[in-house]
Amino acid sequence: MNPLEMIAYVLSKQIEDHEVIYIGTGLPMVAASLAKKTHAPHITFVYESGGQDPEPCEMPWSVGGPMTWRKSPMIMEMAHSFGQAAQGMVDKGFLGFAQLDMYGNANTHMIGGTYTNPKVRLTGSGGNNDVASLVDKLIYVGLQDPSKFVPNVDFITSPGYLTGGNAREEAGILGGGPVAIITSAGVYDFEPESKRVRIKSLHPGVSADLAQLASGFELLRPEGEIPVTEVPGPEILEILRREVDPNGIFIGM
Amino acid sequence: MFDYNEEALRNLEIEDTSILDRLVDYRSAREAHLKKDHSQRDKRMSLSEAVSEYVQDGDIWADSGFSYVKSALQGWWEVIRQGKKDLQAIGSPNTNQTYGVIYGTTKYCHMSYTGAEMRGYDKMFSRNLKEGKVKIISDWSHGLMAQGFKAAQLGMPGCFSKQGLGSDILRHNPYLKTMQNPMSKKNDPVVFVPALYPDIAIIHVNAADMYGNCRFYGPAVNDVAVAAAARKVIITAEEIVSNRDIRYHAKGAQIPFNNIDAVVELPFGAAPGYMPGCYYWMRYFWERFFIEAQVTEEGCKAFFDEWIFGSKDVHGLLAKVGGTKWIEKSRRRARAAEGDNEIDGVNYRYKIWEKGMDTADID
Repeated sequence: MNPLEMIAYVLSKQIEDHEVIYIGTGLPMVAASLAKKTHAPHITFVYESGGQDPEPCEMPWSVGGPMTWRKSPMIMEMAHSFGQAAQGMVDKGFLGFAQLDMYGNANTHMIGGTYTNPKVRLTGSGGNNDVASLVDKLIYVGLQDPSKFVPNVDFITSPGYLTGGNAREEAGILGGGPVAIITSAGVYDFEPESKRVRIKSLHPGVSADLAQLASGFELLRPEGEIPVTEVPGPEILEILRREVDPNGIFIGM
Repeated sequence: MFDYNEEALRNLEIEDTSILDRLVDYRSAREAHLKKDHSQRDKRMSLSEAVSEYVQDGDIWADSGFSYVKSALQGWWEVIRQGKKDLQAIGSPNTNQTYGVIYGTTKYCHMSYTGAEMRGYDKMFSRNLKEGKVKIISDWSHGLMAQGFKAAQLGMPGCFSKQGLGSDILRHNPYLKTMQNPMSKKNDPVVFVPALYPDIAIIHVNAADMYGNCRFYGPAVNDVAVAAAARKVIITAEEIVSNRDIRYHAKGAQIPFNNIDAVVELPFGAAPGYMPGCYYWMRYFWERFFIEAQVTEEGCKAFFDEWIFGSKDVHGLLAKVGGTKWIEKSRRRARAAEGDNEIDGVNYRYKIWEKGMDTADID
């Protein structure tokens, strides 16, 4: 099992049956598809380009592509698609990040330099800010190292808890904010008062010190022994490799 | 003319705000719409006539579709070929603006997303931005921009949003302002999003009649709203159908004729992108661009010289990727992906471009 397969599995376990979830390309799509084939067969997928609940098919490579609206009961306009998240019709959203800080604020805009002369200009928001602002529960997913878990993000694309505490609520943001971060090292949640990133469980072989080495900010630790993340059984890996992503587009390394 | 977000003007280093005005000037957009000939008349013309007549240097040009799905790419290539200059590009996403930069076609950008999803960020755009060849004059999320277009379609000067709050987008967009919700007694910040009016939109559809009534399949994304908002709209269509065909089709028209200035019959007008019901991406083109061409500036220039200027129209492009063989395979691939053909034997494997591969290896 490689780290991407582990991430896909752990992410899939964040999804509960009957939920409506907002997903982008990549690992979130793999995880959602795995969840649908295993413990959550009645979930509904929603995409920013407008596709809703497509018939299962090959793994989509673009959120605008045909696999996101294959025989959809309806295809919405973009403004309406985000609107349903604002109206409380969407349960969860999944986002990646280039940088993430200790309050769960994410950056997909730029790295280094200034806005007008960045070291690297990344993609910009796309729908990330909208999903982070509107869905009831947000889950981040990505590889973890000190260049990604940073003390301060270079640009807040997607709001987490801003400066912590009640800052998100005071800013007037609708959605509840991030509830989990799934990385190559472990699963994190947010300490309820400070809203800082806290270790929830670590993947097998990862110690708290090792996870800390892969972070640019201090990771809070839970009281007592840190649980080990549950790994997928052989039958789940089989479904993942044979049915969900047989060509290894997203989980191949 | 307008009272812009001062902090954003400073952060974006914008001194002359007159370049910002037209996008939110709803009165001038209304004037432009009033001055149009509103009659139901034959608007058919060639792509080169339409672009020559309706696209002016400095226009705010709206990308359509979704990056490489149902985007009017052949219309955009014709804009580049005709040497139009200094356009402001806008769109959610605005992926296709970037290769206009190297020809001076795109000078300014209203930015929401530029990149290729799982293929990563756009190295060409990043480089050109740092070198000052293109300047971002407003930064958006997809949803905020979609609300701006929708407000225009609904005939409102703007709307209030709960997106963008707390983010740095609001510190880099002169058009967006955080305000207290006037209906609320409690602290309730909202973002005012002005209605957005591009100068020109080129939109590709499956079918249009000669007056400009349009029908399409797949995601509309922002196309319906943008058609209503833009001062000038060129439609490129896979086929022209009779007005009767539009009337008696269950879908009716999704974009009404009075939005439209020119109608161009242009099969494969979304190529090298995907067209719902019709054809798949030209994978060779995109893979070679992402893997090889965008690494260096010379690589980009040579690539687009070859593909945009090396074919004078869509027939040249089709010939480059295998002609009727590509059409046959691509149509089956698209129809099967959409559940309208059998999927067995259709190959969707994502092949990475390697040096020496030709179009038959990744088609």
